[in-house]
Amino acid sequence: MKSKITVFFIIGLCIYLLDIGFNSDQNTKDIFISDQEITSLISAWKSQVGRNPTDDEISRIISNLVEEEILYREALLLGLDREDRIIKRRLAQKITFLKQESMADIPSNKDLTDFYTSNKEKYYIQPTYTFKHYFFSAENNSEERSNIAFKKVINNNQAIKSDPFFLGKSFSDNNLDEISGNFGRQFALNFNQVKLNQWVGPYKSSFGHHIVFVIYSKSGYYPEIAQVLKQVEVDLISFNKEAAVSNYIDQIKSEYKVIINPNLKFDE
Amino acid sequence: MNGKILKGILIAVPAVYLLTLSLIYLDIYDKRPVLSLFKNLQSDSSLELMDFSLEKPAAAKAMPLANKDRNAYYGDVHVHTKYSFDAYVFGVTASPDDAYKYAKGEGISHPLGYEMKLQEPLDFYSVTDHGFYMGMIQAYADTSTDISKQDFAKPFHNLNRPENLTADSTAERANIFSSVLAQTIINPQPWWHINTMKAYFTKNIQLALASFDYDVHKSAWEDIVRSANEHNDPGNFTAFIGYEFTTSTDTEGGNLHRNVLFNSSTAPIRPWTRIDSINPEDLWTWQDGLREKGVDTISMPHNSNGSNGQMFEMETFKGGAINRAYAEKRMRNEPVVEITQVKGTSDTHPLLSPDDEWADFEIMDKRVGSRPPTFSRPSGGYVREAYLNGLTLDFSGQGNPYKFGLIGSSDTHTGAGSYDEANYWSKVGLLDGAAANRGSIPLSGQQINDLKEYSAEFNQPISTIDMNQGTYSNTGFTQWGASGLAVAWAEENTRDSIFEAFKRKETFATTGTRIAVRFFAGYDLASIDLSSDTLVSEAYEKGVTMGADLLNDDNQAPDFLVWAQKDKNGAALQRVQIIKGWIDIDSGTPNEKVYDVACSDGLSVDPITYRCPDNGAKVSIADCSITQGVGASELKTVWNDPDFDPSIKSFYYVRVLENPTCRWSSWDAVRAGVTPREDLHETLQERAWSSPIWYVPAASDIVVIPLGGTISLGDS
Repeated sequence: MKSKITVFFIIGLCIYLLDIGFNSDQNTKDIFISDQEITSLISAWKSQVGRNPTDDEISRIISNLVEEEILYREALLLGLDREDRIIKRRLAQKITFLKQESMADIPSNKDLTDFYTSNKEKYYIQPTYTFKHYFFSAENNSEERSNIAFKKVINNNQAIKSDPFFLGKSFSDNNLDEISGNFGRQFALNFNQVKLNQWVGPYKSSFGHHIVFVIYSKSGYYPEIAQVLKQVEVDLISFNKEAAVSNYIDQIKSEYKVIINPNLKFDE
Repeated sequence: MNGKILKGILIAVPAVYLLTLSLIYLDIYDKRPVLSLFKNLQSDSSLELMDFSLEKPAAAKAMPLANKDRNAYYGDVHVHTKYSFDAYVFGVTASPDDAYKYAKGEGISHPLGYEMKLQEPLDFYSVTDHGFYMGMIQAYADTSTDISKQDFAKPFHNLNRPENLTADSTAERANIFSSVLAQTIINPQPWWHINTMKAYFTKNIQLALASFDYDVHKSAWEDIVRSANEHNDPGNFTAFIGYEFTTSTDTEGGNLHRNVLFNSSTAPIRPWTRIDSINPEDLWTWQDGLREKGVDTISMPHNSNGSNGQMFEMETFKGGAINRAYAEKRMRNEPVVEITQVKGTSDTHPLLSPDDEWADFEIMDKRVGSRPPTFSRPSGGYVREAYLNGLTLDFSGQGNPYKFGLIGSSDTHTGAGSYDEANYWSKVGLLDGAAANRGSIPLSGQQINDLKEYSAEFNQPISTIDMNQGTYSNTGFTQWGASGLAVAWAEENTRDSIFEAFKRKETFATTGTRIAVRFFAGYDLASIDLSSDTLVSEAYEKGVTMGADLLNDDNQAPDFLVWAQKDKNGAALQRVQIIKGWIDIDSGTPNEKVYDVACSDGLSVDPITYRCPDNGAKVSIADCSITQGVGASELKTVWNDPDFDPSIKSFYYVRVLENPTCRWSSWDAVRAGVTPREDLHETLQERAWSSPIWYVPAASDIVVIPLGGTISLGDS
């Protein structure tokens, strides 16, 4: 009886040791990315863009691959493994969701204020301009006519004859993006230094020349937090969700060693 | 004692179950009105509404003032994401959120890894995934779902695993798309299955299909609706809830696809799909039902060019006569038609309009989704002929079911519309996302071998074509193109305002360019000073605009006012045309004529040919550069129809043409350093079409009696 137990114990021990021996490589923190994987991504890129990706772009592609692999390995360590590529991605997503869920609490006022302060740029209200303009169509000698008209208008500020503009003559509270949407990017640049309450120009657009009178401008400003509280809250929650995942990756990334063939050349 | 009751129950339950099933059988196949006697027995799940609106923070930026002279808002109302059964097969993983981000100007990722980004954001957008099997293929491919364990789901397993996201998996994907899918979707549950009964009592046929998972379906729809509501930002950006009703005729596979757009945050719990009915008239009945419940929708047909002539037929879906009731129902529900998109342009065909020199433009002459590619009969598939046919039907007292306005959209399946010839990724993700796959540059030797192997393995014809420049992939993608946009003249950028513009057809279509065009007709427009700032408000006051009727007024000849502006980032304008269609007063014979009405560079229209002289604009094919300094930044004129007859029914619509530029296939070739393929157009002229203005003469005394005379044309 006793000897039987000993025999089984010894067999069990052997199996255990063998298992450790055979599976030891599973526990390493090496990430191997094959040449094939990289070349296929690069060739897909090249076939569309018409050039090779820059080093930055390649490293972005690779770092995406690495991050996915890291999340996958962590999932494996949690015992959620099954050999399936979709499952891998799926598990990476699951971990992502888990990390996000744990941060889903409603943020406190202090959190909101801190977040607002450190992300002020995001809430910046762009300066806007309310202006009218005389338009001289490129179809009818716009450069010369606008120059003559401009002299006239600054001398006696009298109404002059101009062309109708497709989008009208008055624009209220347009920011620079809207101005460039209506007139073109080059034209919008003139507004950075524009003088108020006087005729300026002529400025060239895609459609002709314009003499512009800015009636008033609202400077850009950072709104009070109360004004944008709800938006800050939405943004903070979604930021926390993303941060939870990237913090998590950052935490464990250092434990991984990434192995990539340094001699890989891609020239077709 | 207890045993007896138990026994009774054991017999009674299956007996009642069987009885119910046999009654259902009678109701469906025999029409003996047993179950139908009980009016409220069946509920209609397709009319069950749900308020999906969200509590949202007020926008920090103030809403711009409404413009009574209206602004042109540019958008795309035909966009697919991963929830479309085919998009997922094409390797697309973009979500509705990704799609809206793209429309607002952010870059998103193509399945092949490169970035897709707009040069200028859009004003409105709608994700319109295929209603039928919405969300389902994604669930098949995800091996962790229950439904993926079924046999029919096997071919989809892990289709989009990363190592399979390459252009080389094309044949496997094309095969799944055409054959496997067709078998999957008609596989019903056994007749005794509980879901068969559920399907009957909730009028929800899809429940009876073995391959269908209702929860997956509903959650996909919910996500699409949520995303639209979340991204809708009144005053700044409009996102419409929408989906595609993907139907076709039974035997010929004539494409009858339509997109459905909702003007609300409220939507039914599921979309009405081709599984409910393949007959578009039933879709309109459903839309009428929703409208009664306070939810307004429009449906918008597309790819009439690939319908084998069945989109704009002279008879109903079932082959009956068109009558006024049909015409009114169709127009109430389908005010606009998509004239241009990635799969070709449906203005007209060279065979239908032999005298129109611009008719051979982005012609796609295959039936949509046919495999092997099958010719689509032009007649009945193009909008200009449909307008004429509408007049003909009206002439014989049948009403006009083809009095629709025009929009363009993309039909992209990557979430991101491809509107720019110089930056083109076509439509179906991995299948045509690289130049060699879409046939614009020669295949390498390796690619030819791969294609042959794959084709053999998946039982597909080997689709290559040999040219002087090399061997090309010959998949039909060469007939696709970078198009188009829907433009609405609306007071403000809100759902209501843009939706109303669609309904009154105050819309125009472009091939992706941001041309803008105003179009008015009236009897005193010549009195308007074209150099006056008030010209638009005066034109609104004195006339009607695109999409409207101009009624006879004492037999006066009308004036037409057109004003077109070029895309600020595009090529200059070459000419503005008015296309007129009418039917002969005596015989009803249809006629059409293209008039140039304004020419660039100070040129004037030849009074005999009605053509502008050549303005000398050229394209250098070596690098796709264009002649500078020719063409117009704007064109405007008042035009009178030299052949006007006040007693004739007619329509007028505007076509604006840019100077020629390189087609996407030439851009692909230039980038790859090869000459463009010899059998494709090297250049094209980007363009815009307005909705027509219909001229309505005074009522005629003549009663037209068609031969036969047995068909009731009344309002039955």
